[in-house]
Amino acid sequence: MTPVLVVENLIKTYPAFRLGPVSFKVEAGSIMGFIGRNGAGKTTTLKSILNIAHPNSGSIRYFGQELPGNERAIKQRVGFAGGAADCYPRKKIADIIAVTRNFYDNWDDAAYRKYMGIFSIDPQKTPRELSEGMKVKLNLAIALSHRAELLILDEPTSGLDPVSREELLEIFAALKERGVAILFSTHITSDLDKCADYITYIRKGELVASDTMESFLSGHRMRGEGSNLEEIMLRCEKEDYRDKFAE
Amino acid sequence: MINLLNKELRLSAHLLSYLFLAFSLMALIPGYPILLSAFFICFGLFQTFQNGRETNDVLYSALLPIDKKDVVKARYIFVCLIQITAFILMAGLTSLRMVFFASAAPYMNNAMMNSNPVFLAWTLLIFALFNTLFVGLFYKTAYRFGKPFIAFIVASMPVICIAEVLHHLPGLEFLNTSDRLPLQLMLMLSALAVYVSATIISCKAAQRNFEMLDL
Repeated sequence: MTPVLVVENLIKTYPAFRLGPVSFKVEAGSIMGFIGRNGAGKTTTLKSILNIAHPNSGSIRYFGQELPGNERAIKQRVGFAGGAADCYPRKKIADIIAVTRNFYDNWDDAAYRKYMGIFSIDPQKTPRELSEGMKVKLNLAIALSHRAELLILDEPTSGLDPVSREELLEIFAALKERGVAILFSTHITSDLDKCADYITYIRKGELVASDTMESFLSGHRMRGEGSNLEEIMLRCEKEDYRDKFAE
Repeated sequence: MINLLNKELRLSAHLLSYLFLAFSLMALIPGYPILLSAFFICFGLFQTFQNGRETNDVLYSALLPIDKKDVVKARYIFVCLIQITAFILMAGLTSLRMVFFASAAPYMNNAMMNSNPVFLAWTLLIFALFNTLFVGLFYKTAYRFGKPFIAFIVASMPVICIAEVLHHLPGLEFLNTSDRLPLQLMLMLSALAVYVSATIISCKAAQRNFEMLDL
């Protein structure tokens, strides 16, 4: 089966930061955890694969199609949610949806009403009246209403209370069962312990690993670098500030 | 494009962009630099750009299944819709003034510019400056609107002053009278050509700049 997303040798340079080369692929009906500490390049990678930042080189293919030249068709099948996607905070959700729905060929009003009901979102409210968790759910409802096959989520659980995080993880698991693929960036690795099938780990802009969760964990476990994602990340990333201050 | 224009009108536009159309009525005020009405209408449009940055309008648009360059085209069409509406209102008021109040004392004794086709021509030039300097420069970053608006102010204020001075110069009195209508209409049509071509050129450059931006 063709992967829903294949990223190969993605490089993006800024004056003070270089990302890549980064390569990974997301399979249909799977959850890819995209991890790294703050500033590692997760958002830059997601922006590049959404074509809102321009990579210097590399190839990005969705559903077997190259992104350049097929962006319109690809974005019909992809949904995005993240903190940065908090748009039109003072407009009624119903008004935002009335405009948004027209852009999608596969928009399904029945599905929209269903997901708004499941997530208990009142369309007469404005986004600023929603909690952070509800905003993520609103973006999920929009993506699912146009039958997105791939969800790209930029730190969707950051800033959420433990109950909301648990609820979202349950939603992701249910979506995976329905065949939706999820690319999920986060620095809260405990969220991924519960749901991810694959892990891509970047550190200071460089790809450390992209593998199945099982083989990622067993490899690090064998080298004595920890038994879960949090321990592995702490082992790889932690800097000794006591030594630095002593210098 | 219809969907994007719908988004511009219903989600992106700031209410003041619509309300400031009322400044078109300034075309009838005697003893006032009525060309400022064009400036105020552009100031109303500026509010939409400011509002767009606060509401993540550019990011919302860039994530839609559309061609990115159409985001810019839709904004130019919105700007032109407001400007053309203002122009039509001003043209209607100008016609009323010239037909029914041409010899009214406040206009006859008006040291400032009266509304006539030359006033409409200057209005189009102010709009062309806004589209070229403000909108064009805005899309170099898609978030900085301060410098582009200052550039527009710096360019438009001298134009308003020149417009108010010119009709006082010997031989140029016809710029502010109700006769010499064919010549005045020709000036207006020339300004219309400048407005259309400047807007198209600016739009194409802004589309190129926007496509290269990292948002």
